[in-house]
Amino acid sequence: MLSECFIAATLTSGKAPASASLRDVGICVHEFQPSPNLRSTFKKSSTPANCLAVSPSHVYAAQAEKAIVHVYSREKGNQEAIIPFPERIRSIAIAGSKNGDVLVLGTEGGRLILWETCTGRQVATTASHLSPVTALVVDPSDNFILSGSADASIHIWSLVDILSFTKLPSGRDRQPPNSPIRTFSNHRAAITSLAVGHSSGRYNIAVSAAQDNTAIAWDYHTGRVLRTFLLPSSAISLAIDPVDRAFYVGYEDGSVQSVDLYKAQSFQHPLHDPSLQSTPAQPSADEKWSPPSADCGAAQSLSLSYDGMTLLSGHQNGKVLSWNVGRKKYSTTVADYTHSVTNLHMLPLAGLPNPSQDLKRVAHTIVKPRYDSSLSESSQSAGTVPADYTFSTHLLNPTSSKPTTARNLDGSERTNQFTEAFTRAVFPESMIEEGLAELAAFNQPGGNTAQGSPMMAQATNYEDLAAKDAQITSLENELAALKKKTTANEAARQLTTDEVTKLRSDLANLNDYVNELHQKQDQAQREKVIRQARKEERETRKREAWFAAEKKGKKGDTVVRRMEAEEAMQTSDSDDQSSDE
Amino acid sequence: MASMSMSLHAVNHRLTNIPVKQLPPIASCLATSLSNCGELLSAPQNQKSKSDSDNAVQVHKLMTRLASLLQDRSPEGRWTAVVLVKAVVEAGQWEILRGCEPLVRGLIAILAKPDPNSTKKMAIITLTRIFHLTYQYPTLVREITTPSLPSFITSALNLISVKPSSEPIRRLKPHTPFLETVLNALGELIARHPTIFRPFSAQIHSILQAIIGSTSPAFPQNALDSAERLFISLHHCAPKNTSGEEWRSACQMTIASIHGATDHVFRAVVEQWESADPALRQASRPQDYSREVGDGGQDTLGLAGWQGLDSGVNRLVVLLQMLSTCLTTATASMVSIPIGHILDLTSRLTAVVVPSDGRDIQANPQISRTEREHLFAELPRIHVSCMELLRNLVKSLETGAIPLAQTILEQALWVYRAEKFSREVRASAYELVQTLLARMGPSLTKQSITSLADLVRASCHDLLPPAHDQSASAKASSDAKGKAKSNLAAANADSFLNPMLKQGRQSDVATFSSLARAASELLVGVLTHAPTEHLSPSLRAEIDRTIILTSDKFTMLASVLNPVPAVKGRGVSASIMPFLTRAFPAEMEVESLIRPRMPVLMNAPGIGGYTDLGEEEEEDVSAPVSGKAPESTGFLQPSSTPILHHDMMDTEVSHTPAPALTKRGLADDSKPQLLTPGSTGKADSNLQSKRPRVEDVVPATTASQPSLDKTAPTTFTGTAAVPVSLASATATVDQSSKIASVKAPSATAVSGLLAGSAVAQTASADAGEDDSDDDLPALNIDPDTEDEDEDEDETMEG
Repeated sequence: MLSECFIAATLTSGKAPASASLRDVGICVHEFQPSPNLRSTFKKSSTPANCLAVSPSHVYAAQAEKAIVHVYSREKGNQEAIIPFPERIRSIAIAGSKNGDVLVLGTEGGRLILWETCTGRQVATTASHLSPVTALVVDPSDNFILSGSADASIHIWSLVDILSFTKLPSGRDRQPPNSPIRTFSNHRAAITSLAVGHSSGRYNIAVSAAQDNTAIAWDYHTGRVLRTFLLPSSAISLAIDPVDRAFYVGYEDGSVQSVDLYKAQSFQHPLHDPSLQSTPAQPSADEKWSPPSADCGAAQSLSLSYDGMTLLSGHQNGKVLSWNVGRKKYSTTVADYTHSVTNLHMLPLAGLPNPSQDLKRVAHTIVKPRYDSSLSESSQSAGTVPADYTFSTHLLNPTSSKPTTARNLDGSERTNQFTEAFTRAVFPESMIEEGLAELAAFNQPGGNTAQGSPMMAQATNYEDLAAKDAQITSLENELAALKKKTTANEAARQLTTDEVTKLRSDLANLNDYVNELHQKQDQAQREKVIRQARKEERETRKREAWFAAEKKGKKGDTVVRRMEAEEAMQTSDSDDQSSDE
Repeated sequence: MASMSMSLHAVNHRLTNIPVKQLPPIASCLATSLSNCGELLSAPQNQKSKSDSDNAVQVHKLMTRLASLLQDRSPEGRWTAVVLVKAVVEAGQWEILRGCEPLVRGLIAILAKPDPNSTKKMAIITLTRIFHLTYQYPTLVREITTPSLPSFITSALNLISVKPSSEPIRRLKPHTPFLETVLNALGELIARHPTIFRPFSAQIHSILQAIIGSTSPAFPQNALDSAERLFISLHHCAPKNTSGEEWRSACQMTIASIHGATDHVFRAVVEQWESADPALRQASRPQDYSREVGDGGQDTLGLAGWQGLDSGVNRLVVLLQMLSTCLTTATASMVSIPIGHILDLTSRLTAVVVPSDGRDIQANPQISRTEREHLFAELPRIHVSCMELLRNLVKSLETGAIPLAQTILEQALWVYRAEKFSREVRASAYELVQTLLARMGPSLTKQSITSLADLVRASCHDLLPPAHDQSASAKASSDAKGKAKSNLAAANADSFLNPMLKQGRQSDVATFSSLARAASELLVGVLTHAPTEHLSPSLRAEIDRTIILTSDKFTMLASVLNPVPAVKGRGVSASIMPFLTRAFPAEMEVESLIRPRMPVLMNAPGIGGYTDLGEEEEEDVSAPVSGKAPESTGFLQPSSTPILHHDMMDTEVSHTPAPALTKRGLADDSKPQLLTPGSTGKADSNLQSKRPRVEDVVPATTASQPSLDKTAPTTFTGTAAVPVSLASATATVDQSSKIASVKAPSATAVSGLLAGSAVAQTASADAGEDDSDDDLPALNIDPDTEDEDEDEDETMEG
């Protein structure tokens, strides 16, 4: 069943509480819907305005006039720790609203201290405010801190920049580290209250109220004023509608007022209409929602229900009033805590399924801040995460509802068969099919060797099997025949190829031979010609010699015979030579 | 109820009359009918009426039949029984669970029988489910779980391993088909019954060591995952109050083990890293460089040694996965995560990257070049696991990771720059950066965004079919013309024949690959979380172009919702909204974006609640209800009348009976409102005056897409026809060309297109200014985009 609670913190006064159950009580957890009653209490706390922060596991309450913060465990319902700080804390806020890991504290001296409640690390900023930091909010993206001070200025700090071990590269070199990134100084008097819109995007708004009777809606990403509201009196508390359609202010006299951001039936957001930005809007004093009695005291804190239709206000006389937003009227008194109610914090609805808000981890106990005398990062070697930096938490199982899907190396989704089967009402189809196939295989004769086979099944299937066997044998035979054929074919082809190769080489050889023969023939021809020529020459010489001998009167025949003998030797030589050539 | 008892009858009939052999094929149907009888099965059985007692008899019959089937001689019977038991247990819850003790015994007995694997697997799952379901009932835990769980653990372990001696050590069976199922089942149960598991923890540990330590990846990834999860979950078994320390020591030992393996794997290079932990600085041991890389002895976790670089890298990857598992598995109690040590480790692993120009790695001269190159080839795998670890760290710490975000981002970018050639490294880097942006995006400075630009550009390239492919083929063809025609044969002939072929295939890839998904998520992250004013115009143009070409609804929405802030003197900047409305005209997100209907006034009569014209006579009845009992204000009130709505309305407003618990549906409100006689005319006129405006804007913003048509001509041939007609209708060319040049300096190729549309826009803007004096409010369809730009324009001026 759905239920909605709020947490109220009070500033202890001299008065004694009416009921015994509220004695010593400083912080109350109160069920608001369905039936208003006190759920639980935390004792011994006295909290000024803007000094209560609530995380899913803990409640942090900075104490009035002291430099300490009380930490209460919501699970155990007791006081877990008292944390001393070097300065008085004037306002606190929690960053990381889902888990509440970082507590931001605004000090008397005008600086912020950031305490990582899971690691115990503590970082301090420059003391950029001239007066105590009285109002603090963290934007929904957990990236920016807005701090308002009595010096009328609002600083915007980058949470990431302050906490980061490795400092972000920035163009703001002239600034000292951990200083605000932007300052909003349109107010003329001390800032009383701050609120941010509910968007985590770039176009989120902030609303600030100051003692100069103004409230300003502005863009904290740029520091640009969107609209100035001249209020009938000085507002001391603020709350923004869950849809950012309006904001509500609480006054000193106990009355509250809604300031509608959409006056006209316009589809353009009036805050972003430049023609309206320069003109301040002036909600009339008549439109204030008056409290049931004048002795309520100032409306010190405001909070809206989940649906945004009921406004709760905590008053100085200890009453928590509820107002009907639609009718703009007081509706009931929800609780009376005797002491002045300084902080109201509406808790999210219990019992709504909201997967994005499911906690992945929970911190049962906080880690107290480690003592650091200088509260600065200068002692550390820059940029490195110290080896002893540990994060204490209890990891919860985030995937209890949906099956885990891991990824393969190639990035494809890998589903886990086990979880799939585990979470379904019946086994998945794939698993059933796998089982059926396995059972079928189990009954095949092949599987029988391993297991004791069911004989019945085999008997019924016997003929069938025999037929199948026959078929298989015939098929196998056919296969064998085909294989043989293929081999034969292969061999034949191989043979032909070989033959062709051989023939080719033969052809080449024959060609070579023919060429050789041709050469030889040519040579023989040449030799023949040469021999012919020599023979003719010899004949000529013989004849010449014969004639010469005849002329001399000698016997030509003898000379010729002698020459023939000589030539026979020469010819044999030359023949030898020619054959050698 | 009657139909349920009927189907239960039918199930019983079939179970008893059909031969057991033929049951398996219908088991699935039977299980489905049983799971539909949940109400009947879970009904308390002590009621007196006749029908109830008849049902009780049927349920009893079913249970006895199932118990006997579990003991059946045939495997079919047992198989069917297991399937049905699971269905009955899921459907019947407590009523069935309390009588399921014999079933549990039967199921455990099956594990020891020679049944088919699937029977055993399903028996394990069914048993795990029974133990799981009984957990919330202490009596059932006492009666069922506590006595039978030890025997279940033993038989499950026997399926996957053998216990050789009396020592608490088990040896893993090779190639067992049950490994994954058993590990998952144990992992599911160990956190809930740590004391029962305690005696087995040493045995399980020895099995897991063998699985995790096996260097050749003989085990499927799924089994490895389950083994790692179970290994981490073993800390639940630690004696009272020491589980946190046990977890921490498992974590620390894993880290030490990774350091040990890294000492060997990285021996080919000289590491520049210096540990932040003084204890680790002196730890490096001298190694024998003459042997093949490897670790002979057992490491800190007790895992066996390994040989060879591949095994070493496998070991590193497995151990890094195990460290990731540490961060994602539920713990028994508060643990302290050693973030400092984890980041120290990742800084060591990411310090060594593949050398690229300008970044040289000092080589170890004693190691051969082949081994070094082998190491560089394997580095991307290590780094992918590293980034996966970092991503898991950020995801589980959420806001707690803010102090580390910048450090992690720098490590990721360092790896990415050196190893962007690897698809896996790119995909992991996209995912990691996207996760980081969700935490620290809004506070990024211009410098950080500039350092991300390269990554974002690469993601654009990964999303698009590579345009250079087409240009390359075109170039090839022109080259072919210019030079000899010799390399024509080498060009892809298909691309000439069918130019669409390539595109089709690549768009398929873009749809299905995880790289593309990571890239598109990164684009969404950058647009949503990073300050858009720090994105350089050229990068933004490239992102928008990619988004248009991929036509993914979410990236388009991200772009439209985070417009380019107007720069002074540039005019209104472009939005890709027309593309969004063209692509998804009927989607709800688009509708809510361009035609918002938020109830802007909360207290005007007739707006606050649901109005129904037909029920005005009920007014008198409801008025007193709303008047009384202010105590019961609120939507959580369990009352039958919707008091909440009366409170919000003035009394003359009629009401409609709405369920008491319904919260005010804010989006619904305006619809009935439009139907009321008073507002109908106005609403209609609003709508009518809005429509022409929309059409005016559509071509205007279409045209001013910078360099879109120039770079992707093929995709936009269809749209080219429209601007031509627009341009011809243009009268004042001077003015329009001036605006066009101011608006999109890079879009030179589309001047005609711009000329026509820019005029249309200026005309509409004029009309809007003229109208502002009338009682009709100046409608602005996208207040988030244009007005912001104008606003910022003013700031710049002032």
